[in-house]
Amino acid sequence: MVTAAYRPLAHVLIRRIMLLATACALLLSAVQGVLTYRQVQQRFEATLQDIVSSNLPMLSVGIWDIEAEAVRRQVETIVAKPEIGYARLNVATGQVFEAGDAALLRQQPSRRFEIPPPRGSGEALGTLLIVVQPALLYQALTQALLAIFLGYLLLTLLICSLVAYVLRREVERPLRGMADFAGRLAPSSLTVPLQLSRPPRPHHDEIDLVARGFATLQAAISRHIDTLDQQVEERTRQLDAALSDIRELSIRDGLTGCYNRALLSERLPSELERAQRYQRPLAVVFCDADHFKPVNDRFGHLAGDEVLRAIALRINSQLRQDIDWVVRFGGEEFVIVLPETDLAAALVTAERLRAAISTSVILADGRTVQITASLGVAAFQSGEDVESLLNRADTQLYLAKQGGRNRVMG
Amino acid sequence: MRRMLALLLCCLSLPAMALSVTFINPGKHDEVYWLTATRAMEAAASDLGIRLQVLYAEREHPRALALARQIIALPAAQRPDYVVFSNDYGTAPELLRLFEAAGIRSFMAFSGRDDQPGQPAIGLPRMHFRHWLGSLEPRAEDAGYLTARALIERGRRAGLPRVNGKLPLLAIGGDRSTPSSLLRSEGMRRAVTEAGDVVLLQEVYAGWNQQRAEEQGGWLFRRYPQARLLWAGNDLMAFGAMDAWRQRGGQPGKDAFFSGINTSAQALAALRDDSLSVLAGGHFIAGAWSLVMLYDYHHGRDFADEGLELVRPMFTLFNDRSAAQFMQRYGKLDFSRVDFRRYSKQHNPGLRRYNFDFRQLL
Repeated sequence: MVTAAYRPLAHVLIRRIMLLATACALLLSAVQGVLTYRQVQQRFEATLQDIVSSNLPMLSVGIWDIEAEAVRRQVETIVAKPEIGYARLNVATGQVFEAGDAALLRQQPSRRFEIPPPRGSGEALGTLLIVVQPALLYQALTQALLAIFLGYLLLTLLICSLVAYVLRREVERPLRGMADFAGRLAPSSLTVPLQLSRPPRPHHDEIDLVARGFATLQAAISRHIDTLDQQVEERTRQLDAALSDIRELSIRDGLTGCYNRALLSERLPSELERAQRYQRPLAVVFCDADHFKPVNDRFGHLAGDEVLRAIALRINSQLRQDIDWVVRFGGEEFVIVLPETDLAAALVTAERLRAAISTSVILADGRTVQITASLGVAAFQSGEDVESLLNRADTQLYLAKQGGRNRVMG
Repeated sequence: MRRMLALLLCCLSLPAMALSVTFINPGKHDEVYWLTATRAMEAAASDLGIRLQVLYAEREHPRALALARQIIALPAAQRPDYVVFSNDYGTAPELLRLFEAAGIRSFMAFSGRDDQPGQPAIGLPRMHFRHWLGSLEPRAEDAGYLTARALIERGRRAGLPRVNGKLPLLAIGGDRSTPSSLLRSEGMRRAVTEAGDVVLLQEVYAGWNQQRAEEQGGWLFRRYPQARLLWAGNDLMAFGAMDAWRQRGGQPGKDAFFSGINTSAQALAALRDDSLSVLAGGHFIAGAWSLVMLYDYHHGRDFADEGLELVRPMFTLFNDRSAAQFMQRYGKLDFSRVDFRRYSKQHNPGLRRYNFDFRQLL
């Protein structure tokens, strides 16, 4: 997208106002021009009337009494009127008096007055020629138009500065503040409210509407994000649960609830390492149910499973919670890991296990199964690895099987 | 011998008597008529032992008032005993007020009291204005009458063309406010009325000015091409009208006739070469006669028994001979040959009534 050049609203408004003012001034000037022209014409007519009523009788007396100086003064008095540009008096006896700019005679229309003798009847004493002063019209027009233009200029300047001031104060500054605010807005600061440094006022305006819209938008986004967080949390919890389930499944035997071999191979080395590092005792017990295949054959695999579950339960019941742990090594064979336990204590524990296992199991259908177990015990020897330790325990189990079963060897 | 002694005594007592007079001359200092008046007054003052000072208003009447204020502003010792002035352009009321307030005795000469309508009357001398002693004026009406009558006679003799059986006459007066000017015009009108076969076409006023009269003459001759007689209130205005006539190709004294008033050398010369047909004058002497009256008054011989406002005939109609005589005697404006003491009641106890006729000086 192409960004157009920045142009403030005030600029646009002021340009419009100027155009409008100029148009108004021109229109008014035209009207005023016509009015002024008519006014000047009327003034000229009034002046002519004045000359006829006051100057002509004086001229008449002056000519009749042959007061040339008075006649000259009268002609000068006539031309001294601002409306009159030129006056020429032709006396019947040949004398000519004139005043003003004779060149106007060729440019402007003239008026001619007969000068009657002072006592009324008789031949005219002369004629008076009067030419309008055009400069007066120009002057009046200039004055009127100048007044209009100056008035409009002043008014326009005032309006423009007021518009600029109000727009800057009431619109531009708050909008810039909003733009800056919106630009700075980030998820972390979403809840920070929009602060416009505007003086308090009894009414609210468009800016307040926009500001309120901002607040509403922020609140909505904020709510939306909150909901998302909750969903994520819920899903994460579900995922965690599923993960821990999967983990449980991966490390436990589904039938007995004991740990599986994978866990053994994962966890036993670290147990060994700890025992080695801290020079602590550690013992491992191999336990194998005696004659378990016939149980499966006689009572069914489901019963076999039931028996295996019972064995695991009995083993767990004899162990220390959270310290000792049991792994279903395979089939009917279990490995019990006894941290912080030396060989003697392990043998005692193994004997207790054997005793616990060697009681009859009552199946769900009420049948009873008699079962025993053989156990081989090996205590961790410093520097020994997992395989060796397990082998030694397995060897002890073998010996116990060889020795007639239902016994502990170590 | 006794006379010599008296004269000597008189001269010695002069400073003690301290008779001093200031004359506010309304005319211009180089205007022939008013200069002549001054010269005659100076001759009289010299004969009578009067210290005379003459101030000229130069025909600007506000200046007459300014001169009066100057006189009033003088310290008491330097003020004149009497001020003589002329009521030209109606300045008398204000002048009288000024001198009355200052306690200076005044006397009006040449132009006398002339109560204007709309203005408070100044009253008679020695009444409202107690320091106003009186006035002496030439009978100005005579001048207008004598010159107009002679001019009409000249026109008749020349057999000028008539309009509706009447001789057309034009007149150029002095001004509209000086009494002597109005009286001259009045005399001219009386002569026209008496003549019966004359019509006065128009009278204009040229302000005693030759140039203006020339201009007005030009207008008048064009306005009234049939007019051949022009009466003027003084000599200068007659000359102006004559110049205008010459500019139209006329010959004054041959195809048109002019009359004037005043005894200027130029006027007398024009009369003698016949370009000016009629001339009257001699009234310039009024100032000198005023000094005679003041001299007598100062010495206890009041003129009140003859009247406070004297209007006396002083004008003389000149002819070729009397003009020559005047030129010969007074052509240089030297009036020292006239012994003004002869007309003083103080010097001539037997004299009952002043004789101010000018003819006796010719």
